[in-house]
This record gives sequence, structure tokens and C-alpha cells, in this order.
Amino acid sequence: MLKKDLITRHPLGLQGDETDVISSGEFGAVLSRAGVGKTAFLVQLALNAMLRDKNVLHISLSDPVDKITLWYKELFNHLAQRYAFEQAGQLWESLLPHRFIMTFRVAGFSVPRLKERLADLTGQDIFHPDMVIIDGLKFNESARECLADLKKLAEEQSFHAWFSVHTHRHEETSSDSIPLPLLDVEDLFDIALQLQPVGTDIHVKPLKGPSKVISGLSPLVLDAASMLIK
Amino acid sequence: MDDRKVRNIGVSAHIDSGKTTLTERILFYTKRIHAIHDVKGKDGVGATMDSMELEKERGITIASAATFCEWGGHEINIIDTPGHVDFTVEVERSLRVLDGAVLVLCSVGGVQSQSITVDQQMKRYKVPCVAFINKCDRSGADPYRVIDQLRAKLGHNAVAIQIPIGLENNFQGIIDLVSMKAVYFDGENGENVRIEEIPGALTQEAIAKREELIDAASMFSDELTEAILEEREIPEELLTNALRSGTLTRKITPVLMGSAYKNKGVQPLLDAVTQLLPCPSDMKNEALDTDNNEKPVILSSSAEDPAVALAFKLEDGAYGQLTYIRVYQGSIAKGSTIVNARTGKKVKVGRVVRMHADQMEDMEAIPAGYIGALFGIDCASGDTFTSPGTTLTMSSMFVADPVISLSITPKDNKSQINMSKALNRFTKEDPTFKTYVDGETKETIIEGMGELHLEIYVERMRREYDAEVETGNPRVAYRETITRKAEFNYTHKKQTGGSGQYGRIAGYMEPITEEEFEFVNKITGGAIPTQFIPACEKGFYACMAKGPRMEFPVTGVRVLINDGAAHSVDSSEMAFQAAARGAFREAYAKAKAVIHEPVMKVVVETPTEFQGPVMGLLNQRRGMIVGAQDDGPMCVIEAQAPLAEMFGFSTVLRSATQGQAQFTMEFALYKLVPQSIAEELAEKAAKAKKGI
Repeated sequence: MLKKDLITRHPLGLQGDETDVISSGEFGAVLSRAGVGKTAFLVQLALNAMLRDKNVLHISLSDPVDKITLWYKELFNHLAQRYAFEQAGQLWESLLPHRFIMTFRVAGFSVPRLKERLADLTGQDIFHPDMVIIDGLKFNESARECLADLKKLAEEQSFHAWFSVHTHRHEETSSDSIPLPLLDVEDLFDIALQLQPVGTDIHVKPLKGPSKVISGLSPLVLDAASMLIK
Repeated sequence: MDDRKVRNIGVSAHIDSGKTTLTERILFYTKRIHAIHDVKGKDGVGATMDSMELEKERGITIASAATFCEWGGHEINIIDTPGHVDFTVEVERSLRVLDGAVLVLCSVGGVQSQSITVDQQMKRYKVPCVAFINKCDRSGADPYRVIDQLRAKLGHNAVAIQIPIGLENNFQGIIDLVSMKAVYFDGENGENVRIEEIPGALTQEAIAKREELIDAASMFSDELTEAILEEREIPEELLTNALRSGTLTRKITPVLMGSAYKNKGVQPLLDAVTQLLPCPSDMKNEALDTDNNEKPVILSSSAEDPAVALAFKLEDGAYGQLTYIRVYQGSIAKGSTIVNARTGKKVKVGRVVRMHADQMEDMEAIPAGYIGALFGIDCASGDTFTSPGTTLTMSSMFVADPVISLSITPKDNKSQINMSKALNRFTKEDPTFKTYVDGETKETIIEGMGELHLEIYVERMRREYDAEVETGNPRVAYRETITRKAEFNYTHKKQTGGSGQYGRIAGYMEPITEEEFEFVNKITGGAIPTQFIPACEKGFYACMAKGPRMEFPVTGVRVLINDGAAHSVDSSEMAFQAAARGAFREAYAKAKAVIHEPVMKVVVETPTEFQGPVMGLLNQRRGMIVGAQDDGPMCVIEAQAPLAEMFGFSTVLRSATQGQAQFTMEFALYKLVPQSIAEELAEKAAKAKKGI
């Protein structure tokens, strides 16, 4: 198994398509209830990007750095094991420079602050993100302003961003519409995927997105144990 | 003796959070000492636990002395653990012999990076603990923030069992939430505990905090849950018992507060130690059975069974070597015979004592669960002693390979003798500290886990052993390894009169990751006579010590031999050793050898405004930044950086952050050296060769 083959195992099952699902300046969202696997899913998207030599900035508002590193390590090991990739250790080492983890406390996170941190990194030529993952941002009334600012930043710095969106059981409306937390800011997102536990599996249900992605997506099922695509 | 009345505890914390001061106060209130000295005291006496002169001067505790005291009918053994990360072996060894620990935190500094390391170690050895938030009198004290940090950063289910009466300058005493009483500390040294009703202004807060406490404790007692549901008055004992069972399983961490320096809150801490922390028989201790494939065996903690004890600390006293031991099973009595499980040597126990820092008290025997010391027993720290006929050994502790070395040269003859004495002692005390004489330069080399680690030993040599030494530049322990399979077919032939030498070896070498060196013999049909096979292995193994490329040790090589030839007269062991060396060189040249260097995990804690510059510094040092954790006014940057680039980092970091940042560094892994650096190293190696 070569690195190239590993890349094509895209978490969204996009065969042979090596470009990102969304391009710079665009936003993607992964929605689910607590504990279904938003972070795991996002980390897989990140790993895939890292395999393609893209730089991923992972911003977490809930977990400490150690825990996030563990997520990456675990999922990478699962991936390498599943596809019997031989020189996993070396590949892992080569991936690490493509990742940067930043954690904030929920209250301490703001776009100007992130901008400052980013300037620290890009200004000294330490790290230039191609993809940003924001895990744990609260989608409440004030989210719109924050997201709009982020969008501007994403366009300036030319990265695309993926968000995790926490939904609540009692807020679930009819099964086809966009869940409540995202409803308000839906226009800012170019793709939205919902993770739904069905029995022991987890189904990925596209809520909105470009047609080529949606069509390629239809039968996506995640293995609940490893969180990899079945 | 009743071992339920025994507590073996450690006082474990970040440097400078006041651990030694706290220990000092404990000894004072338990009447073990009669005057209080401070760390860095003006009276020049120093705190009693820091028995080493160097420690007194630097105000830090290096070696962990064990001391004994009594409180409320309980016997407490306190192991004072070192606070600095470079001495983690000592910390880990101490944790091994503890049953419980007091985690001391500074109410201003909170959970700092070192506290995280220490906490991880406690987790590894499953040591239950209570937290003590010290320095509540300092400006900026905020115990509740520290409790939040305990939860968020260390993942403890931290629950306050006390709240402070006033803070900072105004810190007067504490309110005990279990008994719902205010506790004040009167007298010149706070020795008179005055218990009063809770001041009116704090009643509301105390009630609210008590609710939280009861809520958390109810997880561990059905009886308590029932009492809550029936809205009965909750008896103190019930609450304490619930807290105790939560603490023993590490599911809850009771938090106490006070100020050791201002003599406040220490007596309630001692009460908590006796009430909440485990006694020796509460804890399960495992030993390994060497007769049974090192299968773990649970020790009984009964005094009747064969003795098993661990030597965890050595000290050079006025009367020879003093060995601190913890007895896990059986008892070790004066005059009995014990066996050192590592060497198999039998020793007769002479004096058995119990230690109080520098003074001692004679005993008849040390029963299971107790900590004591033996005299005149030759052993290394970490050795197990058992009754004759027992094959148990306490598991060997994880010891990392040294990553840095330094050459030392004694200044005169007297220093030479003292230096060897000192080195002999240090290597016995600390398994991560190693020493050897370089075969070529005839220099004495010391090896260890970091710059400071070695510096401290050089200092100790000077102070304790009066050995003046000059040190060379620190050298990083690089390693060589191969990256691909390479074949060899080498013939060693010499015919210069007399009996000649002849040997041919063929086979291949390949990289392995699990082991340092493996030798596989696949010779069929006696191409190489069996008696010469060990000589071949020896020859290959000898090459591993110094790689042909840069003279760094070689690791991760499997050698397989499958063919060869011998001569009935001219072949000898020597000839085959030489052939093996030649074969190694031949294959090594083709096996794409690379250099690996030790990479350290560096954690920097800095005020947020310096985050950018610190990242820049790490980046310049070939550091790979793993992440940045934003934590209000402070942030924590975690990176991996090669040790070779980290010399003098503390100075650079201080000047870049106005002295407000601190960092810890520990060995993480060996990593491939980038091409450009490898070339530099090669150049240096070539120059060094020419120089000789």
C-alpha cells in the first residue's frame, strides 16, 4: 500500500478526486448530537489533507492539545492498520509538520484573537494553514458575527474551514431540513453533513453541498468502532 | 503494630510551590522538630528535610529523604520528593513506595507544567491523592481557579472540602465543610487550633460549597445518597467515609487550602491525610515471580509471609551507606538474613532504623507497610530484598537511555580519587546517570537525561566529595541505524608465516525496530563450524558500539548469516571475529546508514503576549510546534525540538520573555537527522579524526 493509495481513501469516498471538497474561503459543517463522532470525522478530513501535503490548523475550544494529538494518532493508526500500510511510523513523522493545534477556552476565543495568533505563525513563516478545523464553536445567537468575520479571514488567508456543530435531540425538526443551530447561518456554509447513528453504524447524510459531492456520497456508512468509512 | 494506622505519603509538587516549607511545618506540629527554619533561611540552618548542602543553597529539594512522624495516633512516613523535572527518576522511584500523596499547588501559579508531569506519574502508579492549595496569603491567590485547573488540566474530580476565610493579606483561616466549623490558627507558630462557628458573612457560601461536596461524595456511598434523599442531617463520619472511598480509587480529589509559610491549614491537612488517604493494606502491590516467567503476584501485606522489600533510596551517611527500604510483605528484622533478588547475594541485616531527615532511631524490625532504613548493605537503588527461598522481585522500573554526555577531568590527584567515589555512589543512586571511560581519549564520560541533570551531579561532586572537575562541552547521544537490507560476503585471510587466519562469512543485515541487535544463524551443512558461530556474533556485536560512518552507536540491526567457509588449520575464533567485523563494514556501507538524534518534548509556559516570540525561538531551533494552548493570561506551547539545539535555551527564553516564561524538557524519541545537519556532523567527525 502506498501513500497515494491511502490518500484516495477519502473520508467522503471521493474516488480519484484529489482536490479538497471545498475551496479556499468556503465553509463546511459536520453536524451531530454529542458523542456521535464529529471530531473523529473532522480529524479524518484533516489527515486526508495532510497526506496531500496540505497544512491543517486544528482549533479546539474544548479539548487540550494532548487529547487532540491522541485523536490524530489513533485515527491514523486505524487507517494505517486497515490498509496494512507498512511504513506507518515514517509516514506519521512526515505528516506531523503539516499539523498545528491551537486550543482556546470557549470564552477566550474571538476572531481578532485568532487573527493575532495566525499573524504570529504566518509572520514568522512558521506555519501557513490551507485548511482550518474549528471544533467546539458554539452556534448561538452571536455566532453569525463571528462566522462572518472568520469568512473574511478565510478569504484573506486563503484557507477553507470545517466546523463541528453540536445539535440537540429536542431541537430536531423534520428529518430533511437543516437543524436549528445551523439554520441561522446556513448561507455561510457550502457543505453540511449530518452524522446519524443507525443501529451500530453511523450514516453520513448530506444536508447541502455541491452536487458532485452529494451524488458521490449516497451510501456512506461509518464504522462506529473505528470511525472509519466502511 | 496495626497497619491501618500507618500512612506512607509523598509531598509532590511543582518547584517553588512551598513543598519543603509544608513538610517542615508538618514536622513541627508533629513535634519532630522544635524550631522552624525556612527554605533559604537567614539563620543559615535551612529546612530539616533538605539535608544536602546544595539543596539548601538553591532552595530546592534534590534527594528524597524519608522521615517519620506521628499525628492523632497514626504513624506517618513522609517522602519528600524532588520538584524538578530533571530528577523524575527519583520522583518516580519515590511514588512507587507511597500509598498516597499530597499534591501541593500554589494558589497563584496554579497547575504548572511540572505539576502535570508529576500528576501523570502519579496516575501511572495509581497513587491516590489530596490536593493542598498553598500560599493562600500571597497576592493574587485564587484557590477556586486552581480547583478549576485541577479539573480542566489534570482531569481530577477536584472538590473543595474547605473554603478560605479571607484571601491574600486578609487570609485568616479556613472553614471545614465536613464539620461546618471555622478553624483559626493562633500562637506564634500557629500551633493552637481554635475552632469557632462560621462567620455570618460566609455562611451562605459555606452551605453552597458543602452541597457541592456532598453531591460529589454521594457517588461513593449509597448510605449517603439515602440520607440526602430523606433530607436527614448528614453525619460527619458518613461524609468522610464516602470521600475516603472516592479518594482511594482516584475518582475524587479532596482539596484543602492554607498557607504553610503563615502556619495556616497544616493541622487540618494532617487530619485529612489520616482520614482520607489509604493505609498500606488498602493498596494492592504487585511483585514479579522470576521463577514463573515474571508473572505478577499480588503481595499479601501480612507480616507472617516471606519478606519482600524494595530499596528505593541510598544515602551516604557518616556510618556508611544507608539504604531506605519499603517493606511490602513480611518483615525485615535485625539479625535476619535477606537476599538481594538482582545479584542473588545473601546479606545479614545489621542495624534497622527509622529516619527523620538527618537523625535516626533504632528499631527491632520493619514490618510490612513500613518504611525504614538499613545500614551497611551494599546494593543499588531499585533492588529488591526478599527472604531466602522467595523468588519475587518488585518490577524493574522504567529507565530511559541517557541522551546527553559530558567529559569530566579531575583537576588534581585528590579530586581524582574523590571523583571516582562520587561517581560510584551516583550511579548506584540514579539509574539514569551513567559513567564510563572513553577507550580512545581516556576521558571519564558522564551521561544523563539533560543539561541540568549533569550540572547538578558535577556540583554535588564538588560540594559533597570535594572533587574539583573540569567539564567538556556537552555532547548529544546520536545514534546510527541502517535503512535497508544489504548483503555481505567477506573473506578474512592472512598468511604471513606461522599459522594463518582464514574465515569467510556471507549473509545479510537488515533494519529492525523492535530490538537493538539481533543475530540469526541460518548456516546449514556446517559451512561455518558450530564452535565459531559465537565468535561471529561477537564480532558483529562489537561493531555496534561504534558505527563505521560517524562513530556513533549503531542500533536496530538484524544480522543473518547463511553461508561461509572455514579452513581446517587456519580458522580460529579470532579469524571469524575479524571476518565478522569486515562483513559488517562491507554491508554497512551499502545499507544506507542514517543518523538519529534525541528529540525532546519541550513545554513552554508563557504569558500570552510572548506567544509569538516563543514560537519563533522554537522554530529557529528546528523545533516542530505541536500546539498552543490558550489559557487566559498564560499559554502553553508544546513542541518537539532536537536536544542538540536546546543548549542554553533557558537563557534565551528568559531574555525573550522578560523572565516570565518557564519551560520543561524531557526526552521524547529518536528521530532522523535532516540531511544538512548530518553533513555538518560528518564534517565535524572527519575533523576530529584528523585532529587525533
